[in-house]
Amino acid sequence: MNPIRKKRLSSILFVFLFSVSGVSLILYSLNSNLDYFFTPTELKKVQMPPNKRIKIGGMVLEDSVKRNTSKISFTITDYENSVIVVFEGIVPDLFKEGSGVVALGYLDNEIFYAKEVLAKHDENYMPPNLDIKQ
Amino acid sequence: MIVEISHFLSILSTALFFLAGSFALTLKNTTYISNLISRTYSHAFLLLSLSFFIYIFLAITDNFSVQYIANHSNSALPVFYKISSIWSAHEGSMFLWIFFLALWGFIFNISIYNEETLKPKTIGIISLVLVGFLLFLLITSNPFVTILPIAPLNGADINPVLQDPALAIHPPTLYLGYVGFVIPFACSLAFLINNDPAIKWEILVQKWSVAAWIFLTVGITLGSWWAYYELGWGGYWFWDPVENVALMPWLAATAFLHSLSVSIKSSHLRTWTILLSITVFSLSLFGAFIVRSGIIDSVHSFANDPQRGLYLLAFISVIILTSLSLFISRLSLIGAPNNIKTLSKESFISINNIFFGTLIFSIMLGVIYPLIYEYLYDQKISVGAPFYNAIFIPIVILAAIFLFFSIDSKWSRVINLKFFSKPISLSLLFSLAVTLLIFINLEKVSIFILCSIFAGLLIIFRYLIEIWNAFAYKKYLNPFSAIAHFALGLLLVSISLNSLLSSERALNIKINEFEQYKDLKIYFTDLGVNKGSNYDSVQAKFYIEDQNGNSFNLNPEKRRYFTRGQITTETAIYVSPIRDVYLTIGDQLEDGSWIVNIQINFLIRWIWFSACLMALAGVVLILSKRKV
Repeated sequence: MNPIRKKRLSSILFVFLFSVSGVSLILYSLNSNLDYFFTPTELKKVQMPPNKRIKIGGMVLEDSVKRNTSKISFTITDYENSVIVVFEGIVPDLFKEGSGVVALGYLDNEIFYAKEVLAKHDENYMPPNLDIKQ
Repeated sequence: MIVEISHFLSILSTALFFLAGSFALTLKNTTYISNLISRTYSHAFLLLSLSFFIYIFLAITDNFSVQYIANHSNSALPVFYKISSIWSAHEGSMFLWIFFLALWGFIFNISIYNEETLKPKTIGIISLVLVGFLLFLLITSNPFVTILPIAPLNGADINPVLQDPALAIHPPTLYLGYVGFVIPFACSLAFLINNDPAIKWEILVQKWSVAAWIFLTVGITLGSWWAYYELGWGGYWFWDPVENVALMPWLAATAFLHSLSVSIKSSHLRTWTILLSITVFSLSLFGAFIVRSGIIDSVHSFANDPQRGLYLLAFISVIILTSLSLFISRLSLIGAPNNIKTLSKESFISINNIFFGTLIFSIMLGVIYPLIYEYLYDQKISVGAPFYNAIFIPIVILAAIFLFFSIDSKWSRVINLKFFSKPISLSLLFSLAVTLLIFINLEKVSIFILCSIFAGLLIIFRYLIEIWNAFAYKKYLNPFSAIAHFALGLLLVSISLNSLLSSERALNIKINEFEQYKDLKIYFTDLGVNKGSNYDSVQAKFYIEDQNGNSFNLNPEKRRYFTRGQITTETAIYVSPIRDVYLTIGDQLEDGSWIVNIQINFLIRWIWFSACLMALAGVVLILSKRKV
């Protein structure tokens, strides 16, 4: 190989290695920061490590909302299985019993501690995977 | 009747734009043809704007025989919101988007001489892009559909969350930014078609690109500000997919402006600049696709319609594939000049472009990965703030440190980096001192946040010294670069301190009682019921005192709108340069107390101020007479 080609090859190799390591770092960080979405039924089937951030979605069960001091607790259900959710803060305006909700947080001893509670800004919104039922 | 005229005019303009485009691509470039294309384009634009203004007139005069206006406006709205209701949903906002695209082309058309070699092709390409989007509008999302024979008496009203001055001007500003990048895109393609490396298309488009970048910057900032005070979550950025698709073109455009300046100054990176000009516009189009196809769940997304998504995807793919294959076929057009010298300004900008590229790639991955994942594994996932923070924080810190050392660099020359020159050591010293001060005074600080504060401070102090030198010793300083980068430093520091110091808490307070949160005493003084023009509201009155004896009133509300029965939260915010006190009320509990959410947001105003300062830097560049 002549010197020019050698130099070119080494720079191509360098760029290649550099980008591969960069991309794999990004992918690694992506994979460790994914939020999985579950319905209560799906949640029953999987083993969840306790401090993994997940999202659960479903309907707010009627007569399940309890408020005490600044904490609110309610049950998310898909009418087959349910999860009890505890949340500290103000729930969104569209949050009400019998309508769709998505909570982001951590599961610990069968109780879901939510960091965020979202009710989609649409009266006809159904959480994913639930729209066939009812 | 009038709506049919408007409809017809936009069809006619589509035909004329098509003519202008086909003239430009098929006929030989002579003075006569060049004049012809320019005139055809102007006439087509005239028809389109007539059509658009008639549509605005219809909205102002409450013409509810037009289905779109009936669904999104209401006769009780003030005129301002009747107009802004046009861009409150898909069809009308697409119409506005297209009108702005044509407007950029028109301003370009009348301000560049017909003798400019690249002009006819540039105008032609803009016309063809317009034809594609006009067909999309007319075929899949027609805003001119009428309700006949009997029009409803009143409209369904605009979504109350959107009845807000910031939101009325946020989409138009953002759209002006998105579509403005059609100018560098079309011009670089015209340059490739024209096949003459001697023509400097970069100089022609620089100020146009900066103008579009200013609109994009301001548009994103307005959106962030609106979300902060209107949605009641109190944040300024949520890494929502739709925010991400606005951030990607912004990052690409910023990289493009840097690379453009290299190509203008020293003819390096010319190929890369062309690729970036294509990337920026493609990312703008990709954004339109993501928002309008409904494939991603977001607070912003419009109604789901597969036909629209398919058309947009096909059209955007055609644009991207054509321009990329043209680009590849002309790769040899610009022979590579000498290698870039290490530690020259060009080398630093190349590194900056690698950083920008990584950020864009990561966001893109975050946006489309959930789609791929669901398709492959049938499992819904979402990518949230932790991923973006993990990528952005280290890269931005690195980029800021490179920026700090690049300030001394010169075009096409190797410099001796003196690590202990006076400006460098002084700013290192100051930044270190301030960072240490923060470290000592706070209990728990993450190392990453400390690093980013340090990096931001480095830039701030360094530019302060440079500005001082410029005034005191008449040392040369590039004003826009100085303002923009100073703003970046400020942005870094304010974002870091904001995430470090801000806190929130949900409290229960009864009327006539008080709660203590941090140094604030919050008295709940009164609760009233108000009636607005189209809503009822419950308003809570709070009197708040801090430990220095400063006091203020905050009155957050909950509103219920009549027409849609929608409930909205109106936040109450006490604004000061150092911190915002942000109150929202929730529900009443059984014991009669109310849930009140209080947030203390530090330096949040400085985040938007920094973004505005960046936009200001762009304005300075446009107004400067010197070639840059």
